[in-house]
Amino acid sequence: MSQSDHHVHLADGVDHQVAMVMDLNKCVGCQTCTVACKTNWTQGGGREYMYWNNVETKPGEGYPRNWEESGGGYESREQAHDSAHGNRREGTIPPQKDYGRAWEFNHEQVMYNGSDEPLRPVDNDPEWGPNWDEDKGAGEFPNSYYFYLPRICNHCTHPSCVEACPRKAIYKRQEDGIVLVDQDRCRGYRYCVEGCPYKKVYYNAVKKTSEKCIFCYPRIEGEGPDGEVRPPSCAADCPPQLRVVGFLDDEEGPIHKLVNEWQVALRLHPEYRTEPNVYYIPPFAPPQHSDDGETLDIDRIPRTYLENLFGDDVHDALDTIERERDKVRRGGSSELMDLLTTTNPAQQYRLEVFEDE
Amino acid sequence: MTDRHEATERDESNTLLSGVDRRGFLKGIGVAGLLGASGTGLADDFLRMDGLEVVDDPIGNYPYRDWEDLYREEWDWDSTARSTHSVNCTGSCSWEVFVRNGQVWRESQAGDYPRFDESVPDPNPRGCQKGACYSDYVNADQRIKYPLRRTGARGEGKWQRISWDEALTEIAEKLVEEVTAGRYDAISGFTPIPAMSPVSFASGSRLVNLLGGVSHSFYDWYSDLPPGQPITWGHQTDNAESADWYNADYIVAWGSNINVTRIPDAKYFLEAGYNGTKRVGVFTDYSQTAIHCDEWIGPTPGTDTVLALGMARTIVDEELYDEAHLKEQTDMPLLVREDTGKFLRSADIRDGGDENVFVMQDADGTLRTAPGSLGNRAGKYDSEASIELEFDPQLAVDRTVSTGDGDVRVRTVWLRLRDELATYTPEYVNEESGVGQETHQRVAREFAQAERAKIIHGKGVNDWYHNDLANRAIQLLVTLTGNLGRQGTGLDHYVGQEKMWASHGFSELSYPTGNVRGVATTLWTYYHAGILDNTDEDTARRIRESVDNGWMPLYPAERPNGSRPDPSVMLVWRGNYFNQAKGNVAVEETLWPKLDLVVDINFRMDSTALYSDIVLPTASHYEKYDLSMTDMHSYVHPFTPAVEPLGESKTDWEIFRLLAEKIQEIATERGLAPVQDRKFDREIDLQSVYDDYVRDWLTGEEGALEADRAACEFILDHSEETNPQDVDDRITFDQIEEQPRRFLATGDHWTSPIEEGEAYTPWKQFVQDKEPWPTFTGRQQYYIDHDWFLDLGEELPTHKQPTNEQDPDEYPLRYNTPHGRWSIHSTWRDNETLLRLQRGEPVVYLNPDDAAARDVEDGDTVRLYNDLGSVELQVKIYPSGEPGTARMFFAWEKFQFASRNNFNTLVPMYMKPTQLVQYPEESGEHLSFSPNYWGPTGVNSDVRVEVEKIDGGDGE
Repeated sequence: MSQSDHHVHLADGVDHQVAMVMDLNKCVGCQTCTVACKTNWTQGGGREYMYWNNVETKPGEGYPRNWEESGGGYESREQAHDSAHGNRREGTIPPQKDYGRAWEFNHEQVMYNGSDEPLRPVDNDPEWGPNWDEDKGAGEFPNSYYFYLPRICNHCTHPSCVEACPRKAIYKRQEDGIVLVDQDRCRGYRYCVEGCPYKKVYYNAVKKTSEKCIFCYPRIEGEGPDGEVRPPSCAADCPPQLRVVGFLDDEEGPIHKLVNEWQVALRLHPEYRTEPNVYYIPPFAPPQHSDDGETLDIDRIPRTYLENLFGDDVHDALDTIERERDKVRRGGSSELMDLLTTTNPAQQYRLEVFEDE
Repeated sequence: MTDRHEATERDESNTLLSGVDRRGFLKGIGVAGLLGASGTGLADDFLRMDGLEVVDDPIGNYPYRDWEDLYREEWDWDSTARSTHSVNCTGSCSWEVFVRNGQVWRESQAGDYPRFDESVPDPNPRGCQKGACYSDYVNADQRIKYPLRRTGARGEGKWQRISWDEALTEIAEKLVEEVTAGRYDAISGFTPIPAMSPVSFASGSRLVNLLGGVSHSFYDWYSDLPPGQPITWGHQTDNAESADWYNADYIVAWGSNINVTRIPDAKYFLEAGYNGTKRVGVFTDYSQTAIHCDEWIGPTPGTDTVLALGMARTIVDEELYDEAHLKEQTDMPLLVREDTGKFLRSADIRDGGDENVFVMQDADGTLRTAPGSLGNRAGKYDSEASIELEFDPQLAVDRTVSTGDGDVRVRTVWLRLRDELATYTPEYVNEESGVGQETHQRVAREFAQAERAKIIHGKGVNDWYHNDLANRAIQLLVTLTGNLGRQGTGLDHYVGQEKMWASHGFSELSYPTGNVRGVATTLWTYYHAGILDNTDEDTARRIRESVDNGWMPLYPAERPNGSRPDPSVMLVWRGNYFNQAKGNVAVEETLWPKLDLVVDINFRMDSTALYSDIVLPTASHYEKYDLSMTDMHSYVHPFTPAVEPLGESKTDWEIFRLLAEKIQEIATERGLAPVQDRKFDREIDLQSVYDDYVRDWLTGEEGALEADRAACEFILDHSEETNPQDVDDRITFDQIEEQPRRFLATGDHWTSPIEEGEAYTPWKQFVQDKEPWPTFTGRQQYYIDHDWFLDLGEELPTHKQPTNEQDPDEYPLRYNTPHGRWSIHSTWRDNETLLRLQRGEPVVYLNPDDAAARDVEDGDTVRLYNDLGSVELQVKIYPSGEPGTARMFFAWEKFQFASRNNFNTLVPMYMKPTQLVQYPEESGEHLSFSPNYWGPTGVNSDVRVEVEKIDGGDGE
């Protein structure tokens, strides 16, 4: 590991950058994060259909459907002739059917008004939703594969939504790099929806503004009646605690170690070149089976698929994790394995390290 | 570009707006938001754009940030309360409930379980997505707000609102009538799983007990009870808390879909992978837990026993077993007569010998009596006796002994087991289970060679007709390898929150008379639903014989004239009996009409409520006091009310107290005389039912238990776990409202002590302290010499095909109804928030090949049917499902299907004779009926179905 690997790059003008590492090997697809986020922020007022946090099964079309094919972000390094930032790529605005709707149901009619209809979404024939292809994945039994991918706004270092907004109503906060849509200034043109390659900005047709994950800034600011600093709800409520939350530039913190030192936490679709600040520990899976039921020494999740999601660094990351797991299996100790477990919960959320500044 | 945007914008706005209703709009955004949405049109917007303030570079430098208060104002609440959920998920997770403007707004895990072992992952936070939206139910459309009387047919959903007084009077009149006519045993009370809310459990159980009514079992009925455990270990079940998983070097998750059904505990399994533990998953599909295992093994459905016995064969043949453990702790050295198949008793070989003392041979060839046999200890449990050996019993003995019947050849259980295991060659195992010859042998070796190996065992194994055989076969693996009674070892079976920590107090609260008319619900349900006419002759004969022998009680009891009345009244609370009943068609068509009065006490309109006569509104989980505990962890924490009960709803405790009051009022008015109980030495006195209900029977204090909180304190005060005799500490309700506390001790239904700084692990009193196991032989008993076991060839664990399945030619698909991610049984099945994260309606998972063969595509509506019935539902393609299985994650409500059939419509009534026995036959110390402890399980996996596309079906 060279010293240059330790360099932490923040956006110009941003003092510190919040970041999150999600360990996909601990994600069980329970969507407690999704529900926690929803009950906090998106229960009504035109936000019903939005999932600022969603969890999708990969491989899969996700939420909104086929978001990975929806454009946005920046042109590739090659297209940009290796310049630091290229031009924005054209994107599309997903139609409502690719998000699905927040279905209302006929509980009252079935339970209290003698209807003989089954309980169903009312006036709706659902064809897609935020978790429609749950558990599906790809491949053929017994060598099929799938895993879960939780997603929030990446609060990118080089956010294409910000550049896309002609009103300059989206900004990156100086103190923590959180990307916000100014709800007073936004007029709902949706250039940001189009420009975000992760499709993590949502149009609110009632308010006529776009809205998105706010990294629970009121919680990390300790804004509630009890003044307590809390990590974002999606992280705090996660049962296996797969999210590490802190600042990328906190060099004593686990995020810096996982991202820059161990280099096992990777960006999703780095080729979009928005430089996300949410990082993922890539998934491993049990090996494949032969026709006669023997366990084979063959990767179940094709490396090409993981490369497609996380870029070429995924090989080194998986190898590093496997090497460190082996070390522990043989009775050794490993800083990396310690970082990925919650035996020391104090390191999971380091949100007050820069408070004295 | 502008043109394109404008066009899209208009279309999209129209579409988007139509999906939003006013209520949701107002609910979601605060005043600031409303003001912001000023209703300006597009043209207006573009005009304003001309006058836009200049922002140079919004990265790190944005001048207009006052608006940020919009979201800050949404992160606000008035008060919080500690509560949890009463849903038999084994979670027992402590939650903080946030109240805003007098209404429950949201909840978040309390996250303050104190740590007791810093070397294992933090126990916090416990909870899952269901718990995270329970607040939906508090004010939901489905909430029952006042007492209802049915006006249409049962299930029709037509109701008349009635007053509490009308409702209580009508129910009380019927109960008084039944008791005074001597039909108190026709009154049934069904409520499952005390640990999830013992006071609410006790509310109705206490009244039913005072009335002489019948208390129903649930753990066996729901096939959560692993019968192999009472059979082999003589004990209901005892498991390590989930924190102990992290202590294992090797874990086999066998049919236990941890990542779906144990979400709060999954962390210990997932993180063990970073701690050097190898995790092997045994699942028929590439399940949600298999994806995070180090190795996945996928046996053909129904072949767990073959796989386990194959692994056992490897361990035995390769001498990887723990010989000392087998000699001291198991029946392997005991001698069995070849002529009768019965154990050799000391009475067989010498005058004055004991029928209940067993025989082994020592290293010198001398016959010795086995220490700890039932005949040389004082009853089932005897902490004074010991199985410690003073000689070296031989495992491989084949000899002749002289008995009163002449010379008899005897062989050890060990040799008989080796004969049995010889069948399970690698070739046979592969042929039957599909698991590779090398793979299963290697896993067996790895398991045997690990320092601390553990099996996590679940519903995937336990739902089969021959579940007892599968249990025994899998248990054999931990026994052979000596993986019991230490940290990080054992066979942990988690299905249902059956085990109460604060047991004594709970029991005294629920059954104050001490005389409990308990019944095995599987037997009661199927008997009254007509199983005797719907099963094979041998099973019908054995059911009759078991009842006639008094091995299994059945109510209403047979009357002196040989008649047996039908059950007449059923009270259901905290459960969804009707929806969850296997043999659902027979239950609806045969049992339900026998009931004159069905009363459901509920916060939501579930299927049982919908098919009841009177529905009483109960407090939600955020509106009452109660306690919560589970065997997944060793803490106790409370329910406390965040808000008042909604509408006219009342807590369970208050409802049953008021019903008791009404009964007493009627009885007193009429001067009704006490009724002598036919079975117990007591009188049922309706004139004092209320006084008895609220009296503290242990202190004699009158009126002490009027409030639910007082009932909570009664339990804490009177239980060893929370108020131990020899410890100068106790757990009070005030304390646990502040923070959950770890139990201080274990009561006598646990098999290890609670130790400071260590996760609870069972069986230490037998393995480490060498007390006799509570079995006939005083040892882990793999050989059962009961006549029925011998008749059926099940004296040892063995693989058997079920004999009573549907015809595989006609119904080629196996039907599997596992616990799912999106509900806890039927609770949350109807929840809007969670349905939006599914497909909004029931789905069946099909392998792509099975779907293609039937011309079915993802999203199609199909008919799933067999000879019992059919259901319509949507297909979801699941490439990770094994071909040949239709998998419906269970517990969809009847009202979620067009036909009002449900997932249990396709499941027949099965009862396995080996689970109806008493053993020893005369005295039953090893196996005898006890609710939730020993009784027939209601199984549902030996079912076959076919799927066909419904013409024109496109997902409704």
